[in-house]
Amino acid sequence: MKVVSMSKVKSLTKKSGAASRVKKVNSSGVGTAVADALIIGAGFAGLGSAIRLRQQGVHNVVILERGTEVGGTWRDNTYPGAACDIPSNLYSYSFAQNPDWSRSFSGSGEILAYIHGLVEQFDLLPLIRFQQNVSAIAFDENDGVWHVQTTQGETHVARSVIMASGPLSNASFPNMPGIEKYQGHKIHSAKWDHSYDFTGKKVAVIGTGASAIQIIPELVKQAESVKVFQRTAGWVLPRPDFVTPDWNKSLFRKMPAAQTAMRNALYWGHEAMALGIIWNTPLTNVVEQVAKAHLHGQVRDPWLRRQLTPHFRIGCKRVLISNDYYPALQQPNCKLITWPIATLCEKGIRCAEGIEHQFDCIVFATGFDVCKSGTPFPVTGLNGRELGEEWKRGSQAYKSASVSGYPNLFFTFGPNSGPGHNSALVYMESQIDYAVKGIRTILDDNLKVLDVRPEAQQRFNRQIQKRLAKTNWNSGCKSWYLTEDGFNATMFPGFATQFASQMKAFLSVDYRIVTA
Amino acid sequence: MASIDLEKMLAKIKNSQWALADIDWEAPGAELITEEQWPKLKAFMSDLMWIEHVGARGFAALAKVAPDDTLREIYTYFHAEEQRHANAEMALMRRWGMLEGDEIPEPNINLRLVIEWLDKYSDDMPLETLGSVIPMLEIALDGALCKFLLDTVKDPVCHQAFEKINDDESRHLGVGFTVLEMQGHGELYKLAIKAAGTLMRPTLILGILSYLPLLNKMRDNIVEMGLPEESLYKVMKKFETIGGRTAEGRRNPWYQIISRHGRVMIDRTNYFYHVPVDAMVKASSYIPKRMLPPIPTWVKELTWNPVA
Repeated sequence: MKVVSMSKVKSLTKKSGAASRVKKVNSSGVGTAVADALIIGAGFAGLGSAIRLRQQGVHNVVILERGTEVGGTWRDNTYPGAACDIPSNLYSYSFAQNPDWSRSFSGSGEILAYIHGLVEQFDLLPLIRFQQNVSAIAFDENDGVWHVQTTQGETHVARSVIMASGPLSNASFPNMPGIEKYQGHKIHSAKWDHSYDFTGKKVAVIGTGASAIQIIPELVKQAESVKVFQRTAGWVLPRPDFVTPDWNKSLFRKMPAAQTAMRNALYWGHEAMALGIIWNTPLTNVVEQVAKAHLHGQVRDPWLRRQLTPHFRIGCKRVLISNDYYPALQQPNCKLITWPIATLCEKGIRCAEGIEHQFDCIVFATGFDVCKSGTPFPVTGLNGRELGEEWKRGSQAYKSASVSGYPNLFFTFGPNSGPGHNSALVYMESQIDYAVKGIRTILDDNLKVLDVRPEAQQRFNRQIQKRLAKTNWNSGCKSWYLTEDGFNATMFPGFATQFASQMKAFLSVDYRIVTA
Repeated sequence: MASIDLEKMLAKIKNSQWALADIDWEAPGAELITEEQWPKLKAFMSDLMWIEHVGARGFAALAKVAPDDTLREIYTYFHAEEQRHANAEMALMRRWGMLEGDEIPEPNINLRLVIEWLDKYSDDMPLETLGSVIPMLEIALDGALCKFLLDTVKDPVCHQAFEKINDDESRHLGVGFTVLEMQGHGELYKLAIKAAGTLMRPTLILGILSYLPLLNKMRDNIVEMGLPEESLYKVMKKFETIGGRTAEGRRNPWYQIISRHGRVMIDRTNYFYHVPVDAMVKASSYIPKRMLPPIPTWVKELTWNPVA
């Protein structure tokens, strides 16, 4: 491990002002200060956690960020057309509402600007250590602290850790046969190559998920030809997108209560959607009919309609929202390919219909490496237990936030906290507030160990899996929500209101406590 | 039960993919097609290619009704593979100077009617109906038509292409007969009632009315081209033997219907069947083409070009 030089410590101190509060040690374990809370990741969850911690009087906080900028997934996903498919008034923090959203569904640039605004508004920059890529964390039971190592060779020590590294933060080219043979240009949707000029190029897009349906309409405008390779058609609902009128912005600025009312209306509207999306109810048929009408209204050719008609119940996979995807597919320079991909080859893609489709560039809109089993880096808990090993067959936690045997550690977007119908930020707020309560308990009661009891975790997971069995996610289709074995470690089977209610109470009776 | 492990079969299918680009379509040997052979071969290849293409659409319909993801994915591959066979057969036709530019062989009126039916109604057919018909068509294709072609054509490129096609077809047959047997599970009277209900569906009756004349026309076409009738008897026998090798296969009412129909279809002396069906063939030839709806866009996916 690289030993941190004193000059570097000084320069970081100067830059961030946080080093005095954080213990940074060399390999011999010599150090000076311990953070009350260490947050891994400076995306939405990490920054939100820092804001709420400070609002609750926890100031000795440090954020480790592997990049050079804040923003997480919204910093990384800059592909053309990138936008959120939840209305901006709901895809933002309730404690930091933005009256100036330019559209009902804002693009990635504006969302990233909002995140930067959070940093500025809440003066978070001094807390953040950029270019600190966490490589391992381990709990020291004697001292009741976490040791957090980074690939840069530093070790940080903190009494509690919030994992805010994000579920959609890692992306890589998929393991497709022949991918190493392809000689043309390759772009991953999550790591967009802005220097590549698509003008006059023959382009393939592999994937038809949430990113792909935003990229395709933009590429069709520029490229000579675009072939879209679809494995499974998704359900697509219309997107009620519009430019926010100036009077609306002005109203929200002058009367924040009006914006809160709008947010509440959007919240309850999305809550109602849960009845159709999460469970198979009569409303599911209604939502499917809306999607079918959308398809019918936009696609005239019956065969193309057939190719675009999903064969699973709506909600089983992520529901897509778009007005311009279907029209883009029908442009003269665009073609949907539904033949299975046999292999990639030197000049393009060979499909099972025996034809080699040749391209200048292949765009992989194949999603993220979602951590449904294992952990993004080694997490060592009590008595040397490894979380990655325990989660090998699917992750599980107590209320998505705590894992038995890993004290003083809190997850955002932990197991079974994913929404299928409502804003991720609504869920995130509940998780953050839960973590803050836990950390406040550790500090107020001067605890060395706050560890969820295994029986409480088991009880919780039995309940969750029982409830999940009745949802559309577990109705038989393959999706990134499920592990290879079909275990759902991702989604929360209920309304956002139920999730918030679950996270509201911090039941210390469910935790084993060791005082310092 | 002689069924196969469908998961293993899917893995095998994925590992056995080939492309038109694997074959050198310009290699020597095209000159081995004789002038006398050429017109009959053109008509034969055209029929063969359309049977493959129609079969492809049948697999697409089966993918819609497949009971699980594995079988759905297998049928999705088979749909594409039948398309690949049609594409490869068109590449051979082009090699032999039977196609100009982007031309595709003209489907006859009976094919048009079947294409129309497949386009409109095949997705609503139950698994046991299409899943039992397709093995019969596959076995006829594999055991009679392809064999006949390879016996009469000396072009090595044709043999190279059909070696690959036959490998695919053997997997299609393996899955086909497994599914045929799967559909024989359950109480016989329930299976029979369900089959009788399906047979009474107007959409299936329409399908039968377009399918029977097509079979008769194709049968006569290929016999006229020199295919020995004996080989048709053999393939029908093979269908009966393989399909009926297990109790489940024999209990599938569609196996019983199709195998009996196969016997009747190849027996030209059965006037009770052939007179009305031949009349239907004749009647269909009077249908003006302008009355038919436009060819569905899935037909336009056909191409002889290995590279797109």
